[in-house]
Amino acid sequence: MGKLNLGQGSGGRLTSELIGKFKAQFDDVNVQRDLEDCTMISPEWAVTIDGFTVSPMDFPGGNIGKLAICGGTNDLAVRGIEPKFVTLSVIAEEGLNEEELLRYGRSAASVCHELEVKLAAGDTKVVPRGTVDGLFLTVASMGQPLAKPLGMERIKPGDRLAVTTSIGRHGATIGSIRFDLNVEGLSSDCAPLWPLVKPLAVLPGVRAMRDCTRGGLGTTLCEWAEGTGLGIEVDESSIPIDEGVSSVCDILGFDPLHLACEGCALIAYSPDDEDRIIEILRSHPSGIQATSIGTVVEGHPSMVGMKTEAGGMRVVDMPVGELLPRIC
Amino acid sequence: MSSDRAKLLSSALKRLTKRPTTIMEVCGTHTVSIFRQGLRSLFPEDLKLISGPGCPVCVTPQGEIDGAVELATRKNVVMATYGDMMRVPGSNGTLGELRGSGSDVRVVLSAMETLRMAEEMPHKEIVFLAVGFETTAPATAALMIEARKRKLENLSVLCLHKRVPPALEVLSKADGNRVDGFLLPGHVAVILGHEPFKFIPEKHGIACTVAGFEADEIMLALVDLLEQIGENRPSLTSRYEKAVRPEGNVKAVDLMDRVFDTSTSAWRGIGPIDASGMSIKEEYSLWDGSRKFDVAVRNVPEPKGCRCGEILSGTITPKECPLFGTGCTPVNPIGPCMVSSEGTCSAWYRYGRKGDLKWES
Repeated sequence: MGKLNLGQGSGGRLTSELIGKFKAQFDDVNVQRDLEDCTMISPEWAVTIDGFTVSPMDFPGGNIGKLAICGGTNDLAVRGIEPKFVTLSVIAEEGLNEEELLRYGRSAASVCHELEVKLAAGDTKVVPRGTVDGLFLTVASMGQPLAKPLGMERIKPGDRLAVTTSIGRHGATIGSIRFDLNVEGLSSDCAPLWPLVKPLAVLPGVRAMRDCTRGGLGTTLCEWAEGTGLGIEVDESSIPIDEGVSSVCDILGFDPLHLACEGCALIAYSPDDEDRIIEILRSHPSGIQATSIGTVVEGHPSMVGMKTEAGGMRVVDMPVGELLPRIC
Repeated sequence: MSSDRAKLLSSALKRLTKRPTTIMEVCGTHTVSIFRQGLRSLFPEDLKLISGPGCPVCVTPQGEIDGAVELATRKNVVMATYGDMMRVPGSNGTLGELRGSGSDVRVVLSAMETLRMAEEMPHKEIVFLAVGFETTAPATAALMIEARKRKLENLSVLCLHKRVPPALEVLSKADGNRVDGFLLPGHVAVILGHEPFKFIPEKHGIACTVAGFEADEIMLALVDLLEQIGENRPSLTSRYEKAVRPEGNVKAVDLMDRVFDTSTSAWRGIGPIDASGMSIKEEYSLWDGSRKFDVAVRNVPEPKGCRCGEILSGTITPKECPLFGTGCTPVNPIGPCMVSSEGTCSAWYRYGRKGDLKWES
């Protein structure tokens, strides 16, 4: 047990292990027993919390303010919970431009308006230069279920899987800025998911949803396979990946499956409902790239396999450590 | 590649593999590409691919890593390097751990980024930890030429570059060499062209094909190799025509020649190899971080039980190493082959540790 490293915050296997160890300290008082994105604290109310730090704070497709409310409420949306309230903690670095802070606030408020979500509480701190990187936002979100909350315990063999949009756009956008790659047309998928998935929350055939944030689609698939003990098979050629994301991955040596998304959900559902679900998703502007990508199977328990475009088969695993650009 | 074409090439490989055949993919990017594209499931059982010394992080000896880590701890030094170097374990930790402890270690995508750093931080010593083969060395050379031109005295290079052909010479003539053919590294060939590899078929009678990194380029290169092996006519062919000119990139080679001399260099697990290193010429000594900071490179023994050396020379596969997946994992790597994303053990761990899968649905 040594000092923390960035790999432990990058959303893959190391993050899971760190969270597991930290959660163990709360064993006696923890009501969140499963590994879902939010927790039902009563039959009527669900809650979740998320911290946001991103460099740069402005990026094509959004900024840290928009990201915070989208990310905070998306964790509710994917369990079929309608977001109602958020609380917002602001920790700003001395020297940050006040107008810049207010601009992020306006972006956050604009998403609240769109979702008809109210700000229930807030806290603002300014800390000495160097103690935070610009601005940290922490959002706790509360909401109410429209039907029985979705969750991975409902997933069955034979269920189909879909993604709501093309994958990896947020991670590729941030990576391209950090490494000075000018990729035309590339922007983050940062968006609130509730308006897109609300019609699905009440469909009995929908089993589970997850937003594929840190660690990307690959990690989310692995969490479902490992969490349910079932196997998962996906077809590479059906997974939507924008050209800009592919370019960034080619240059940096990243796997698009492991790049973060901020407005993309993975959905598991009964095969009988496939046409209807894809149609509902595609009828919303955030879901026009929605497509089915694979199936839950009984074989190879707890493992995710991918049929590659070349016709081969390979294992998909969680990334380990910080994603770093390759050397050659 | 369409799956119809994949099937066609897969059956060609099956038809051409008439006996147990071992091909070494020299380049780490090939190793990863083969796993990531699921190509192993398309190969016949008798066709075995082993990974070679083509990951620059993996072949860097521990003593050199230790020297770099020590230099990064010095006051006023900002060390910049390629991402993969951050997690390589030295005897006293990694560059990534140093960053966590307050040292200024930065990841760059290109050597040239350090020019800007040197200009923006005139009171700091910027050291570029230069690692890689002929693919990254021209960029380091260009950096040094530019630094000299701009008289940037707070920028230097700790040069750990290596040349690939001398390592292939050692593997080709090694006792007990079991390689029937080499899948030659496409990126290195882009720089060097074909000539520096011709000695392999001509002198050692081993089949060679330069390969690109797409599935069909790799499969076609394997078809070439199996044809050469089957007809017992080892030669040098290329399936990366779109990127490799036979004469290579003359300008890049010229950049390297202007800045580097060849020297003997130690390769992890293989040992010293004549003419496989790149040492900085006297006229660039002001920008030579090793001289400027008097970096000591000690002969450090490999970590106990680590068999990266045998893996790099294709003698064993990662699964034959007793530490693989138990004592040595990407979370806690013991040897460098488990560290780099291009490393053999890392690729096996990510894609092959859980076994092979068959498509069910």
